[in-house]
Amino acid sequence: MSHASKAAEFNKDEAKVNWHDKALWYVREKRDKSAHNVQGWEYLRQLGSSIKANVLSNLDEYLVQFENNAKKNGVQVHWASNAEEHNNIINSILDKHHAKKVVKSKSMLTEECHLNPFLESKGIEVVDTDLGERIVQLAEEPPSHIVLPAIHKTKEDVDELFQEHLGTKPSGGNPEYLVAEARKHLRDKFLKADAAITGVNFAVADTGGVVVCTNEGNADMGVHLSKVHIACMGIEKIIPKEKHLGVFLRLLARSATGQPITTYSSHFNKASEGKEMHIVIVDNGRTEQLSREDFRASLHCIRCGACMNTCPIYRRSGGHSYDYTIPGPIGSILSPGKDLKKHSSLPFASTLCGSCSNVCPVKINIHEQLYKWRQVIVKEEKQPVIKKTILKTAGVVLSKPGLYNMAGKSARFMLKYAPKAMIYNKLNAWGKARDLPEVKNDNFDDWYKKRKKNG
Amino acid sequence: MKDRKIKVGLFIPCYINQLYPQVGIATLELLEKLGVDVYYPQGQTCCGQPLGNSGYEEDSKGICNLFVENFKAYDYIVGPSGSCIYHVKHHFDILEQTPEVVRVRENAYELCEFIVKILGKTDLGASFPYKVGLHKSCHGLRGLKLGSCSELKGDHYSTEEDLLNEVKGLELMSLNRKDECCGFGGTFAVFEEAISSKMGKDRVQDHLNSDVEVLTGADHSCLMHLEGIVNRNKQPLKVMHIAEILNSSL
Amino acid sequence: MGREAILNSIKKNKPELLPLPEINREAFHEVIDLKDTFKNNIALVGGQVVEIEKNSIDEEIKSKYPDKEHIVSVTKKSKLGTVMVDSSTDPHSLEHIDLAILEAELGVSENGAIWVAADNSVVKALPFITNDLVIILDKNNICLHMLEAYDKIESRDRNFGVFISGPSKTADIEQCLVVGAHGAMSLTVILV
Repeated sequence: MSHASKAAEFNKDEAKVNWHDKALWYVREKRDKSAHNVQGWEYLRQLGSSIKANVLSNLDEYLVQFENNAKKNGVQVHWASNAEEHNNIINSILDKHHAKKVVKSKSMLTEECHLNPFLESKGIEVVDTDLGERIVQLAEEPPSHIVLPAIHKTKEDVDELFQEHLGTKPSGGNPEYLVAEARKHLRDKFLKADAAITGVNFAVADTGGVVVCTNEGNADMGVHLSKVHIACMGIEKIIPKEKHLGVFLRLLARSATGQPITTYSSHFNKASEGKEMHIVIVDNGRTEQLSREDFRASLHCIRCGACMNTCPIYRRSGGHSYDYTIPGPIGSILSPGKDLKKHSSLPFASTLCGSCSNVCPVKINIHEQLYKWRQVIVKEEKQPVIKKTILKTAGVVLSKPGLYNMAGKSARFMLKYAPKAMIYNKLNAWGKARDLPEVKNDNFDDWYKKRKKNG
Repeated sequence: MKDRKIKVGLFIPCYINQLYPQVGIATLELLEKLGVDVYYPQGQTCCGQPLGNSGYEEDSKGICNLFVENFKAYDYIVGPSGSCIYHVKHHFDILEQTPEVVRVRENAYELCEFIVKILGKTDLGASFPYKVGLHKSCHGLRGLKLGSCSELKGDHYSTEEDLLNEVKGLELMSLNRKDECCGFGGTFAVFEEAISSKMGKDRVQDHLNSDVEVLTGADHSCLMHLEGIVNRNKQPLKVMHIAEILNSSL
Repeated sequence: MGREAILNSIKKNKPELLPLPEINREAFHEVIDLKDTFKNNIALVGGQVVEIEKNSIDEEIKSKYPDKEHIVSVTKKSKLGTVMVDSSTDPHSLEHIDLAILEAELGVSENGAIWVAADNSVVKALPFITNDLVIILDKNNICLHMLEAYDKIESRDRNFGVFISGPSKTADIEQCLVVGAHGAMSLTVILV
């Protein structure tokens, strides 16, 4: 199903659309306030972008450097070409430790690899410990936003879900009560966990350490209470030096939620005595994206979600309408690289307004890449006959002034004299909620000619 | 020797030519009032934007070449539509970059920017005693940088506001969301009908909530979309291109 | 195997080497009161901050947290500890800790964050598992921004360390900010 049809479905409940739009716009406004408070903000974005560009141009060497430094600290490093290898590596680590209960903090990569269903099929309990992720896990839904996974749920939805799964009392959707109950429920999971899986926000080549950012403290509760820590990262998470965290940690939370920094920015370099730390480095299509000059910069992404919060389409269509792990503008330039056919409607789910590129903390030219993906898709994927015919014909007509003049006249004639029922029919998507322009007597050409003639 | 007058090639985008001749007329009259020589090359059609934005850039080369052919002889190319000018400046990179193509791209200007930046004027002697809301079109704002964008840190500026603030009697109203997209987006308006209409509806509501009587902007494609919504819902809002306001003496 | 395949694919697909930019610190220079900004930012992120004399630390903590029973203090600056810990303590045993008191060496003005190294907390889980957290910080050890902060912690022993900015929190239910998620429910910073 295309983005447009899913979006139309979401739009059947206008009150919910308004609520979703406002909730995310509020985050966008917090982002503006917080970012604009920083001296040198635009330069900071430029730095973030340039550092990431350097990383991509030297990625193999940074990864090897990272691996060497991590190994020196006793960390075990694994490499996975794809989702399957990633899942198998994790399963084998868990197997070695007879780990049956796993707590996982937020990691879009493990979502991308569909790790949870894989581990569950092996009889392992995986509990997502970020509250938003736990909510969607209980609801058996994918996250609809990368930073705010349950943004599509109302507090009443959560209330019902917790009554069913956690045995809470009806509270009319009291957030304090619900969070307190979730804390109790998840604390028990932390205390009993055999292993902790985390994502990675930044992997530092010159120290071999990884940084994980959370507000809830769930990554740390998991890691510090279990015997094994498995950190999963895409190859593009590398930054060259530790001091560059001074750039990226200033950008990340401000762009994401408008906070000056996340509550916890945890630096994991070594396992505690008697424990193990593993890092799984994953490709899963990233090196292929690296080969595409026009789309390479999409790998700069630090997963802040700012482009989603600002996107007027995302705000009004919901994350699930994108049907991809990473929704919104950034997802729409990443997903065609993974499966052009499946995601071919996503680069068209945009007006190319450019707001995404303006908020991006690492200055990805998102809207320009959307434009470029459109050119690729039209060439490589079969297009709807009507759309293709119209546009191809327009290409010819508009390059021949004589034809254009004739076409313009007949279109104006139609608009002026055709019966309303013929114009506002089912085939006319324009006319569903909008009137067509009223046609005046002359077009500009005619007027201009008359004026010249009359001197 | 007397200074040669600036020669402007007037670019009237296809949909304005056919559907909104009054916008073309206001643009022409305004430029003439400002003392430049205005030429309207016959045989002009379109900038190719509808094709490019739909992924049919390859099929638009004929259109783009025709555009260059039509406008290569002028000092400046001026049009009352930010997105078309943005397309010429930004997406004519698909053509071979001959000196003519480069010149046309460099000298293409959106009307307001041409008046403020090239002619150096803001007070055009217009009067228009209404409460006006300005729709800042995305391609003009974020593409041509006609004004500061709400996402970026920096000092406030706006080419259109500079002009509107000098219009006698005009009261420029402040909006809740200052530069959110209206949802037109070319073929997006048709292929993502639900979202497009909702975005337009929300934008119109912002103007209504801000007591706007006349909604204006420098890109008539956005205005066509917004006007369609206003008319369908019979909302008390008039939609006019900024050239029509700047050419008014009410 | 994954490793060689990935590295080869990168070698084949990466662009020509682009320079690593120098960071121009001047662009971020600001003349502000570090301590005041730090205090404001701690309040912004949901924490509390007090500035007191060294000899009244325990008095202050007692007045702020009067009913706490299970208290861990891992700093010599407070004698309120009722539960003793060392680096071999099983973190699971800290499940019912009411209050943890520790000392840190660095605060960051721009975001109210405080660097807590593994040595500062003795048991790594302590600042997270405790119900409430008190951090004692020398008011002269506040730097301007994160770039400066990384200069200051550059030569540490790297095992584990965390920047903590306020108490744990979540806004995952309808964007309503709720303080107290999985980590500490409250944070009090004592500047001395």
